[in-house]
Amino acid sequence: MSSVIRVFRAARILTVNASLPAATHVAVRDGRILGFGGAEIVDAFGPAELDDRFAAATIVPGFVEGHGHAADGLMWRNPYVGYFPRFAPDGTRHEGLRSIAEVVARLRAAEAAMTDPDAPLIAWGFDPIYFEGPRMTRADLDAVSSRRMIVVAHVSGHILNVNGAVLERAGFTEDSNLDGLVRDAAGMLTGELCGPAVMGRATRVAGDAGLARTLDVPALRDFARLTRRVGVTTCTDLSNALTDETVAAQRTATAADDFPLRLVPAMRTREYSVADGIARISVLRRLNTEKLRYGIAKVTVDGSIQGFTARMRWPGYHNGAPNGMWYVAPSELGGIVEAYHRAGVQLHIHTNGDEASELATEMIGRALAAHPRPDHRHTLQHCQMADEAIFRRMRALGMGVNLFANHVFYWGEQHRALTMGPTRASRLDACGMALQVGLPLAIHSDTPVTPVDPLFTMWCAVNRVTAAGTVLGRQERITPVQALRAVTLGPAWTLHMDDCIGSIDVGKFADFAVLDRDPLTSDPMSIRDIRVLATISGGTVFPNA
Amino acid sequence: MIPLTVIGGFLGAGKTTLVNHLLRVADKRFGVLVNDFGAINIDAALIASRDGGTIALTNGCVCCEIGSDLGAGLTALAARVPAIEHAIVEASGVSDPWRIAQLALVEPGFSLEPILVVADAEALPGQVADRWIADTVIGQIQAADRIILNKAETGTDAAHAILRDLRPGVPVTETTMGAIDPDLPLFDAPPFDAPPFDTPSGRFRADSPVTHDFPRLLFVPPGPFDRARLRAVLAGLPRSVLRIKGFCALGPEAAPMLLQYAAGQWALTPAPGSAPGLVVIGTPDMPAPEAMVTLLTSALQTTFRSRND
Repeated sequence: MSSVIRVFRAARILTVNASLPAATHVAVRDGRILGFGGAEIVDAFGPAELDDRFAAATIVPGFVEGHGHAADGLMWRNPYVGYFPRFAPDGTRHEGLRSIAEVVARLRAAEAAMTDPDAPLIAWGFDPIYFEGPRMTRADLDAVSSRRMIVVAHVSGHILNVNGAVLERAGFTEDSNLDGLVRDAAGMLTGELCGPAVMGRATRVAGDAGLARTLDVPALRDFARLTRRVGVTTCTDLSNALTDETVAAQRTATAADDFPLRLVPAMRTREYSVADGIARISVLRRLNTEKLRYGIAKVTVDGSIQGFTARMRWPGYHNGAPNGMWYVAPSELGGIVEAYHRAGVQLHIHTNGDEASELATEMIGRALAAHPRPDHRHTLQHCQMADEAIFRRMRALGMGVNLFANHVFYWGEQHRALTMGPTRASRLDACGMALQVGLPLAIHSDTPVTPVDPLFTMWCAVNRVTAAGTVLGRQERITPVQALRAVTLGPAWTLHMDDCIGSIDVGKFADFAVLDRDPLTSDPMSIRDIRVLATISGGTVFPNA
Repeated sequence: MIPLTVIGGFLGAGKTTLVNHLLRVADKRFGVLVNDFGAINIDAALIASRDGGTIALTNGCVCCEIGSDLGAGLTALAARVPAIEHAIVEASGVSDPWRIAQLALVEPGFSLEPILVVADAEALPGQVADRWIADTVIGQIQAADRIILNKAETGTDAAHAILRDLRPGVPVTETTMGAIDPDLPLFDAPPFDAPPFDTPSGRFRADSPVTHDFPRLLFVPPGPFDRARLRAVLAGLPRSVLRIKGFCALGPEAAPMLLQYAAGQWALTPAPGSAPGLVVIGTPDMPAPEAMVTLLTSALQTTFRSRND
């Protein structure tokens, strides 16, 4: 490594560091932060190169996405047909599609570009919630091709639309009556499939291209391009089987000098027996580098709120849907939590419904009573419907929370109207309440469920504006200062990495996001429009073209 | 078609013990998909080979780990050589066994046998009163076609009362250490042995409800079903009708179809060249054979009915 000292000058450097919150210069050597302050630091550490190219910009700590999925890097091999615009790894902006006709047009274009006449056409991100008029049917897709199999996956993950070719190969006939085969008023199949049995059959018939592939090196590189574009310098892959094949791809990808991301994969506990999982983590930990960090484990307790599979406490779902599913039984969760906790592993526990959050907190409380362990930082992920009592208990137990702030924008209206009703919906992803009880807070995108973009996630937590333009839960809004911390030092804390990332401090990695303006002094409603000019990882500058 | 049995039941009820027992005493080639591969406990002498997530036994059985895609696991099981004779899926301790059983309706080549739900006689009263797990346990029991009441040595009166309340009518088999008769995962043993007899609207044959846990009826439709009428009849069947499976002709074109019905859902898939014949299986509360025949006959196309009248 070179021992050259480079000093970046900016109009403003927001450090997320209470001892020196604002600066104009930051000195970097050997990929780490050497010092920061005013112009006086330029020569304070010996001869330095002054880098002036960001002199008019704002520098913040590199963003930390505490709940993302590297599978996002795979999605772009298939056409995107979502309602909201989204950026591909190469920086191309894919416009949102506002009608079925627009979706069909994009599918037609994708179909025309395909060379193999037998390959299925699989599209992702379909989000018809905001469409007016009739739902998409097989006739729409048959118009794209009656011969080629076409599968359109909804963004929720719970519905597929397919064309007649898929229905026929799957053996789904008009005369069958299976759960999840949607029909129109005349009793004809619409090609909409819900539920695991019929969706699984259709996916298998069409081939799983795009819906269930294994991460490879190009996918990880594409993922890092997505995160780099939005200023993320550390990202979790929060739930991965961590097979030998995947681990090899992660090691190869992150070892490249031009890989601009620190990757933090969480081992999916349900892939292993408890003893094997604990052993696997201890083996993987020995492979840790500055760019690849193993050691955390993920447990999924329930499903999703908008899919009605999250576990809710009384009075349950607002529309009367039956309570959701346990992905792991309450009695089993206790055993898993205790074993990983005893082994010194940090747990990231997916809970969406408040019953799941209460259960996970209870089980961590029991594990701690039996085996006290300071600073464990077990973290609930999503934790969307926790109330103040659950947050207080989490605080008392030394836990952290990573809330799904983007949900307020994307599904806030559905939560108000359908899933939670008007009162409970206002405490959806209650950032304000979490901070008020003193709980360490991170906020996330769950990419590819919603696009990774911490400035957008900040905007959601600060404004709580839904896609329909109304404010959901005014009291739960947080300040831009608090939101900046919740996408930097907050998630760094939940990963036990606050000693090396998440703020600008001497000895930490020189990971920065360079912004075209200051998110703390901008109009809060404009935070999502702030541009990321460059991402700096370990002192190396990756400009946004 | 490969018969497929789903074994459900809450954690600790004894599903794996039961699977271990079946593999040991099997008199046919069971292909078993299990959740917790590590808990499969077969005498070393019985193991022919072991390959990653698959154990092949000297008696022809094979035991595989359920991967992330159960449907794909079933497809792989069906492709094994030599062919397996009976597939068994051990559901996870928290899953709804009906969700898995539905796969047998959509995956070609499988026929859905009884859903066995294993209950722990000692733990059951506590489980159905437990704040966190009651709805999971109750849902599992309500999906059962046959309940295996395990750990019966601990006394079963309280458990029987709960099961009667939650899932009236289905047979309950007591056992200890999962030691069940290896024919229990089937509806159909022993096979029908009496010849069918003719009625004005077709041929049918009924088993005596006293000799079997599951009364059965064989109905040979004398002509094609009317689509709308058949849908109405199937949609209106009581829960005491557990399964209908077999072949029939459908619609004006008399298309030969395979029908599989379970719990209010059914699949009708083209089955060229098949001869008609439907087996109806139920609990002892199932409508009487004559009533079932009348019901199914009412779903026939009018032209055929009038021809018989």
